[in-house]
Amino acid sequence: MHKIMIIEDDPTIRDELALLLDNEGYCSVAVTDFADIAEQAAQIAPDLILLDIGLPGQDGFILCAGLRKAVRAPVIFVTSRDSGQDEVRGLSLGGDDYITKPYSVPVLLARIKAVLRRTGDTPEPDTLQAAGLILRLTQGTASVGGKTVDLTRNELKILACLMEHQGCIVSRADLIDALWDSQIYIDDNTLSVNITRLRGKLGELGLPDYIKTRRGMGYQL
Amino acid sequence: MSLREFLSDRLGQIVLQLSCAALTALFLLATGTQPGIIIILLAVVLTVLGTVLIVGFLRQRSRLRELEAVMAGLDQTYLFTECVPPPRNPYERRLFDLTRRAGRDMVGEVSDARAAQREYREYVERWVHEIKTPITAARLICRNLEGDTRRRLTFELGQVEAHVERALFYARAESPERDCVIRQTRLNEIVTQAVENHRTLLIQNNVRLETEGLDCCVYTDGKWAAFILGQLLQNAARYRGESPVVFISARPLGKQVQLTVRDNGIGIPAHELPRVLDRGFTGSNGRSRNGSTGMGLYLCKKLAGFLDLDLRLTSEEGEGTTVLLTFPAKENLTKM
Repeated sequence: MHKIMIIEDDPTIRDELALLLDNEGYCSVAVTDFADIAEQAAQIAPDLILLDIGLPGQDGFILCAGLRKAVRAPVIFVTSRDSGQDEVRGLSLGGDDYITKPYSVPVLLARIKAVLRRTGDTPEPDTLQAAGLILRLTQGTASVGGKTVDLTRNELKILACLMEHQGCIVSRADLIDALWDSQIYIDDNTLSVNITRLRGKLGELGLPDYIKTRRGMGYQL
Repeated sequence: MSLREFLSDRLGQIVLQLSCAALTALFLLATGTQPGIIIILLAVVLTVLGTVLIVGFLRQRSRLRELEAVMAGLDQTYLFTECVPPPRNPYERRLFDLTRRAGRDMVGEVSDARAAQREYREYVERWVHEIKTPITAARLICRNLEGDTRRRLTFELGQVEAHVERALFYARAESPERDCVIRQTRLNEIVTQAVENHRTLLIQNNVRLETEGLDCCVYTDGKWAAFILGQLLQNAARYRGESPVVFISARPLGKQVQLTVRDNGIGIPAHELPRVLDRGFTGSNGRSRNGSTGMGLYLCKKLAGFLDLDLRLTSEEGEGTTVLLTFPAKENLTKM
């Protein structure tokens, strides 16, 4: 489990962020005393640091330089100052990414994931398995036993999203959200079309009822 | 100043002098002076008077030209009285003193107004940054709500952000050089950023986006370009038609890159088209659907100007709207 250190002065954001990250399967450690952050970071030894560079009475950029010396963990700047000059300066000081408030939750999570993947040694799993079906993400194929079908990018994403939430109901809106996360900007009708095609292909593999429709709620594996 | 103006200004003096000469001539004639002598005397007197008049005119004209040249050389013309050459006579000195006093008051007013404007801009910027903290907190809290309420609240928060963003860029547009950083940026990233900023609005309106050829680089400020694009996307969602689709595509145009944003929305009536980029203009569409501020496209035009972006908008009522954004080639960027 990745340990994420949160350096944020707004108590509401700090608590909610900690809660969110814990729910997402990270271990969050929020700092409440900003006196000697570098030292605290050295003790905590996080895998990633979320640093608000607008801390009261401190220059976040200088702070980052200090953090850099203390620990090797990647740093994501979080800030409400979003002028281009700030960004250039932040990245030149060794921030690994830069995200501006107000960020949307999916974007924040995606950035954290990306930075951890880039700097850590835990590659994204390439295959997903659920109820007898194996999905190979890089090849874009789904297979059962010896039979394999090729999936389009949209179908792959939809199926992956359903498989990641196996057993849960995934609403159409959630599916659209997940697709938009991957820069696939589809609408409701296109989703229906893609689901129908996907079911057809799964039918070829002998799993016609693999995706169940939960009327008025969404889809479920 | 023309000779005619000068003469009409001195008319009283000239008439008086001529009358005196005439009366003197009559007096001399009556007292028995020979007419020949009177004519000689008159000729001499008139020549002297005429010469004085012409010299006066030339001096006044050259003085005026001198002062006008000083004025023409000034960037801030209200500083004129501080730069004039020394007065030539007591009358000029008094005049200069008067205008100088007026000018000083004006300079004071101008610098006060400037300071007030700068303070206001700084306040707006600080306010915008401060409001972002509670919005972020609200977004995170929303996460704990169940599906539909969360989506609706997130949508409303998105609207709040869009308004805040416009206020920020409106303040920034006053002194763009402070925030604008032109550098090589991937067009893909700009589009993704703009879509991300308005995704709840777009999804809520069931908009489908199609992109093509965005895998190229442009020289611009990514945030500003994303803001401009975001305004166009918001408009596409707000003025959508049946089954809305937005096409975003890019193609090279020599060394420039042209980005096309085309929607199949309700379009803009032809007679309103020339004015849609004006400040505060809300067309018939804007009035029939609430929420138009008349600021979005105006800001787009203004910011595009700073970025050397060529922005063209065409529309057919009932068919949709197309916006062409042409990003400048690297070597043409001179302004900033």
